[in-house]
Amino acid sequence: MRLLPPLIRPNYAQKLSLLATLPLIIAVAAIAVLVAYQSRALAEREIQALEKQLLEAKKAELRNYVTQARNGFSFIYGRAHPDDEAAKTQVTQILSSMIYGTDGFFFVYDYDGTNLVSPRQTEFINQNWSGLTDSNGVPVVDEFIRLARGGAGWHSFMWQKPSTGKPAQMVAYVVGLQDWQWAVGTGVFIDDVLASVATARAEVEVRVQRTFVYIGAIALTALIVVFASGMILNIRERRLADAKLKELTQRVFDTQEEERGRVARELHDGISQLLVGVRFTLDNARRRMARGDHDNALAPLDKGLDHLGTAIFEVRRISRDLRPAVLDDLGLGPALKALTEDFATRTGIDTDFTTVVFSNRLDQDSKIALYRIAQEALTNVERHSGASHVTVDLRGHSKGATLRITDNGSGLPKRQDRVGSGIGLRNMQERIEQLDGTLNILPSTGTRGGTVIQARLPLSHLLPPGNEFN
Amino acid sequence: MTKTIRVLIVDDHPMVAEGLQSILESYDDIEVVGSLSNGREAVERAADLAPDVILMDLNMPDLGGLSATEILLERAPATRIIILTMHDSPEYISSALNHGAMGYILKDVPTDEIKQAIDAVIQGNKYLCTGAKGSLKPKDGNAREALTNREQTILLELAQGKSNKEVAQRLDISVRTVETHRKNIKRKLDISSTAGLTRYALEYGMLQGTGAGL
Repeated sequence: MRLLPPLIRPNYAQKLSLLATLPLIIAVAAIAVLVAYQSRALAEREIQALEKQLLEAKKAELRNYVTQARNGFSFIYGRAHPDDEAAKTQVTQILSSMIYGTDGFFFVYDYDGTNLVSPRQTEFINQNWSGLTDSNGVPVVDEFIRLARGGAGWHSFMWQKPSTGKPAQMVAYVVGLQDWQWAVGTGVFIDDVLASVATARAEVEVRVQRTFVYIGAIALTALIVVFASGMILNIRERRLADAKLKELTQRVFDTQEEERGRVARELHDGISQLLVGVRFTLDNARRRMARGDHDNALAPLDKGLDHLGTAIFEVRRISRDLRPAVLDDLGLGPALKALTEDFATRTGIDTDFTTVVFSNRLDQDSKIALYRIAQEALTNVERHSGASHVTVDLRGHSKGATLRITDNGSGLPKRQDRVGSGIGLRNMQERIEQLDGTLNILPSTGTRGGTVIQARLPLSHLLPPGNEFN
Repeated sequence: MTKTIRVLIVDDHPMVAEGLQSILESYDDIEVVGSLSNGREAVERAADLAPDVILMDLNMPDLGGLSATEILLERAPATRIIILTMHDSPEYISSALNHGAMGYILKDVPTDEIKQAIDAVIQGNKYLCTGAKGSLKPKDGNAREALTNREQTILLELAQGKSNKEVAQRLDISVRTVETHRKNIKRKLDISSTAGLTRYALEYGMLQGTGAGL
């Protein structure tokens, strides 16, 4: 039974989607921050422009009011003497009556700070207000007088709103009547302007946050798409791997069955028949001896012995084909030596085997794998390469062990033409990779072309030095 | 009649050992002094049994025939050892001779040939059987003679800087034997100095495989 691989171990596809999503997340975050910053800056500029525009409009309005008022009493002021109390009273009366809107009114202070006109807050009248400051400590009346002495000007301060009774930001325009030493002015509350600006700012903030949400949603969607495609790829890959494994398992089974069939046939057709023959000859000899015919018993006995010899030889051959005992008893070196000698004898291809003198230093799996690789490589050389010379080299070194099979043949066919031998090469590859080794198939560096097959195994497959009892 | 030849059979297949014993006992000048089932028993009991000739199987549990041969010969160099086996590969023959065996015969040869082999080694000659199908020839080969198991062990000890005496103590053999092995190793590897041996063992990954390091 095959165990399912754990799901959390990231495979290639998962790593890939992770790699794809990480820059995506970073990019989206950077875009979001930039967008927020830019739209905030833009909105702030617009709001400031709006605020300025609104305030300018208010100021212009104020100046118009004051000019109007002044026109309203200029026929009195223009002709009056600076000490003309009657004219002054007349003017204060006119100004007191000029109230407008919900909070609009005119005020008059003389340059000493005494209030002369305050129609909405009559408790101010005839009291001296020099030194008055608003809730933020900004001088109010003194500033009016300073502006009036200078001609005219605007002043901004906190003032109690008559309609609500709460302090609010006010802008006032003051002109000076220098003959009378009066500061005449009017003011409007600009809290509505400030409020609309604040609303605009709040709206911008809401919009920025909404943009954040949109970007986040888009990014999330993209991430889900990437992950989903990663998962789909992953599942597909696993399915492919499963299919490949199934095919591989089937191949192993097929090979095994084929091999069993072959051995069974050889045992039955070869050994069994031989042994049956021996049994007949022995039986024959026994019956002759029972009759006292000793002389004629010898011939069948000899024949039986001869047949037994053949049977033993056959068993030995079958056993060696299955798995050379030399490999187990003497090690890979001698086994490869025997293999190359057999190969040279069978094919007539000039074959050299070189190695260092150590034997039996590889573990069992490695010995078998390298032996089978050499076997497969030599089979390929015989079938496909047309080589006249092969070198098999095996040696241990400080990094492990290397088996190298070099031929001077026609080289490997192009990848697409490797239909037949492909399975053999793949088998070699799988065998060696199972042992954490590597298999390289390279064109030979020799002038006449050819192929080098090189199998490397790591040091972990070299056995510790044996004591004499193994 | 000359003096009887004391023969020891070492084989883990009871049927083979039995058959061999009954055949050998049919010769007047052969006395089978024992039949043991593995190399370790042979190493332990050889001194008591004092055989002239040992018929040794190759594949045995515990201690195989080649290693046993080498160790037996370290202790009693005069013993003649004949490898008796089913294996007909030339590699085995070279290896057997390399480990000090005097003879090599297949189990399925005619019994007369076993007797011939015993007679030959007693006279100090090597005996290699012709093989049932004639395929059995010792190949000298172009490759250098391989190190035996014992020599490999000793090379490792020497490469790690141990003296002859230390190696002798560790392996429970005489200093002279270590020296002989050392000489053989140097001859086989064509190396003249101990430093050269260390370098060789390092270069071919022999020491690295120990896991113990130097």
